[in-house]
Amino acid sequence: MESDARQLLVSALVRTAAGERTGLQTTYRLTSAKLFGVCLRILGERAEAEDVLQEVYLTVWRKAADFDPARASPMTWLITIARNRAIDRVRSKAQRKLDPIEAATEVADATPSAQASLEDAQSSAKLHGCLGGLAEREQTALRGAYFDGATYEEMAERMTMPLGTMKSLIRRALMKLKTCLEQ
Amino acid sequence: MSDTFDHSQLPQDDALAAEFVLGLLSQADRQAAERRIAREPAFAGLVAHWEAQLVPFADDIAPVQPPHDVWLRISTALRPEKVQASRWASLAFWRGFAIGASGLALASLVALFVVPNAPSQKPLVATITGGNTTLVATIDPRTNNIVVVPAALNIPADKVPELWLIPADGKPRSLGILRRDQAVTLVLPPGLATQATAAAVLAVSVEPPGGSPTGLPTGPVIGQGKLTNL
Repeated sequence: MESDARQLLVSALVRTAAGERTGLQTTYRLTSAKLFGVCLRILGERAEAEDVLQEVYLTVWRKAADFDPARASPMTWLITIARNRAIDRVRSKAQRKLDPIEAATEVADATPSAQASLEDAQSSAKLHGCLGGLAEREQTALRGAYFDGATYEEMAERMTMPLGTMKSLIRRALMKLKTCLEQ
Repeated sequence: MSDTFDHSQLPQDDALAAEFVLGLLSQADRQAAERRIAREPAFAGLVAHWEAQLVPFADDIAPVQPPHDVWLRISTALRPEKVQASRWASLAFWRGFAIGASGLALASLVALFVVPNAPSQKPLVATITGGNTTLVATIDPRTNNIVVVPAALNIPADKVPELWLIPADGKPRSLGILRRDQAVTLVLPPGLATQATAAAVLAVSVEPPGGSPTGLPTGPVIGQGKLTNL
């Protein structure tokens, strides 16, 4: 079952695909705060995040016809575009300074966000349930990587462990997660 | 590269897809993965699967209101492509004429605002009617823009109106989703430009949100009208 907000977003994307500016405007109104939060988290700097946010919605304008409501949730599609744009931007720069891992994942205790109406509550409960089955360090590593789009090298440095150990830990965590999610 | 970790766990491509989605790859590995996504549907499928599985992580990222000028920058960047339709799409402009006006009167009003620059490129107009439904659609062959103005359009709140072109062969082709309360501008797909002639019919059907899932009308057709040259 889909919430009204999600249905509104799907129809806004369909209208965007038809070349309607008001479709893009509605999409922006419903989602820009979330996507700006996602970009800001990866880029760490407001001016950069604003630039990338602009690129994200121009990408949505051009590619809205690629969005298939039967195959992906609209928020997944939009968040994926925002993360990819932000990660590409961050990789194109020489270096960035990431917070220590404790600070990076402290929002983990926050209650599920009020934007949940746009997202799929069922898959959210499932991921969070499966994460609960991982060791704490494994959860921290996956969460830290996702939030910041951090590379293996950056993660190894933040969690002060050798690169090989870091890779091994994350791959094991992914395997456990996949097994749990597919049950 | 160190080989101390266990490869026997996730299949290599599955692990790579997850690492791509998490953002763990270096610039070079990331670009290589992007090339594979573009070329290999199976790998792209693994990536899409992980995107859907991991996206709930984003629940924990707090929304931050962007400054107002970001939208202004975006809408300015759109302007050059879409500017022609603005006067046609203005609901306030149309509402004054649409209420109570007959289709023919509307068509002649449309004619006042259209200045054809070649006889073969005359705008087409259709008054789409049926039951309680009245809409006016114009197609400008120079831009392939279709402007549809609803004068009366009553459909259930959980449905959307979809516009169809029915050319001489009788097979409906979707032109896009309409708004019940607002004029919309659609773009005639290039493949259909030669089919949108004075012999064709426009029709509106009632469809689930997002439009007909089958590519053909699935709900009742609530109005139709023949295209005519102005």
